[in-house]
Amino acid sequence: MINFALAKGRLAEESAEILARAGVDVSVLKGNTRKLVLKSADGAYGFFLVKPYDVPVYVEAGVADMGIAGKDTLLEQGRNLYEMLDLRIGACRLCIAGDPKKKDILKSPRLRVATKYVNTAKRVFAFRGGETEIIPLSGSIELAPLTGLADVIFDIVQSGSTLKANGLAVLEEVYPDITARLAVNKVSLKTNPDVLPLVGRIKEILQ
Amino acid sequence: MNYRKLPAGVGDTLPAECRILTEIKVRLQNKFTACGFEPVSSAALEYYDTYAATENRIPQERMFKLTDVDGKLLVLRPDTTLSISRIAAANGVSCARLFYFADKWDLRNAGGIYDREVYQSGVECLGEEGVFSDAQAIAFAAECLKETGLENFVIDVGHVDYFKGILEESGLSDAQTEEVRAFVDAKDAPNVERALRRAGADERTVGAVLALPYLFGGEDVLDKAESLTENARARAAAEHLKKLGALLCEMGYGKYICFDLAAVRKLSYYSGAVFTVLTKEFGAPLLSGGRYDNLADGFGAHIPAVGFAIGLKRLAAALERQGSLPEIPAPALVVAADAGAECAAYRVFRRLTDCGTRARLSAETGRASAERERKSGNAVLFVTKDGAEESL
Repeated sequence: MINFALAKGRLAEESAEILARAGVDVSVLKGNTRKLVLKSADGAYGFFLVKPYDVPVYVEAGVADMGIAGKDTLLEQGRNLYEMLDLRIGACRLCIAGDPKKKDILKSPRLRVATKYVNTAKRVFAFRGGETEIIPLSGSIELAPLTGLADVIFDIVQSGSTLKANGLAVLEEVYPDITARLAVNKVSLKTNPDVLPLVGRIKEILQ
Repeated sequence: MNYRKLPAGVGDTLPAECRILTEIKVRLQNKFTACGFEPVSSAALEYYDTYAATENRIPQERMFKLTDVDGKLLVLRPDTTLSISRIAAANGVSCARLFYFADKWDLRNAGGIYDREVYQSGVECLGEEGVFSDAQAIAFAAECLKETGLENFVIDVGHVDYFKGILEESGLSDAQTEEVRAFVDAKDAPNVERALRRAGADERTVGAVLALPYLFGGEDVLDKAESLTENARARAAAEHLKKLGALLCEMGYGKYICFDLAAVRKLSYYSGAVFTVLTKEFGAPLLSGGRYDNLADGFGAHIPAVGFAIGLKRLAAALERQGSLPEIPAPALVVAADAGAECAAYRVFRRLTDCGTRARLSAETGRASAERERKSGNAVLFVTKDGAEESL
């Protein structure tokens, strides 16, 4: 029996597809349901459907044996778990973005940075000269430099079209390869006999 | 602000839970004493400098700090092993087997499996070296947990020198090594490779470190570990684990043991074999320990040692989920006095408790209150004015 924490949203379909190819019966995920706890027909797999940001929380606590989470989320939370495989889906970049005409603003002695990745931003800017003011936001980050709330943003960039539509551009790529990872609880890997074989099967299909 | 509330990450323990913790504590204490360990207790308040000065410091941001009347900075004990090492060095103790029950305080964002006030029990074997000492500590950890009723656990054994050995000839700086360590600890192979290549490590190092995340399981991983490196320190670590595994098998603990050469935790005072106890009923280790031969050096004495600590609340949670909590004893007999029979009832109560019967003397008198006790499910012994004892 393996319990998964799976993110609703952009990674959901691709995650389910990878699991299906590794032999996990994911048919229960295909229905349109409002249930948050689902079980496969053979009872071998349980699925908890959670917000992407919450996947590492469930995995670290061992409530879920494994989960699929973006590297951006894992970086931000720094939780104590295994990140065993790079699933190479949901690729994006963590970037500093702002007004392309004002690239020099990065050298400002007091830079205002709007982000949802507060912990990661603190670490990134800790090693730079000048002071940084981090402005935590939970969405529509691009609005911050447009309205004067912040000088730049620190956020994930997929295609860059949202930036472009708002007259912004990537000023610096900080983490170029953010992808989804297979996160595994540290205790489950060694005490749940089903976990390691499944990790092996997923590893195989990725090759 | 509600003045009856507590800060995050700490908690009162009410009788229902406290009874269980107390029972676990009694069982462990009897085991410790029966196996020749002596109790020790360290002060909860210490100087901040004690931890800032040693090489194996606890990160500043993880300690609860207070200011003394003379302005000196104090901390709430952040780690009991460090405290006991300090006690041993300061009191000239070079050889001892000690046990403790103590809280430690960890300044972090609490929630989920993490508390900020952590009740632990542990043992420290001071002045001992060698593989037999390691084996004894691990076997004793298993015996202690069995004593509390825990079943189906795994003891995950590693050795810090394997990772350190592989990296010592790679030319990586301390900061680069720490970066790689964190990735290895997370079994994050993609980033291990990236970090090593960025740091310019040679192919043999990259190959060995990349194999590390998957070097866990039975004894066969130790052979593989030896074949991966020429480094003497790393090979000695694998060799040590082989001897340790063989010894533990002969001592009858083979079924509990598995190995993980990528177990490279951050708390850096460990110098040799390290181990954690895992059970599927709890998402984090219940017990963790290892060898720390150089820890007391920072306090001015060289005392090789090995020890472990058990997270008592985690253990209680795991026992509850396994359905093996210690049995809760039947409620005590209530002795109730009729009005005017207080002294007679007290004598009855003394007679019962002196010979070991669990009894409680009711503070109220009269037949009506005795009846109320009976109705709430207690066995009641009612003592009448003429000294007769009536079972209700």
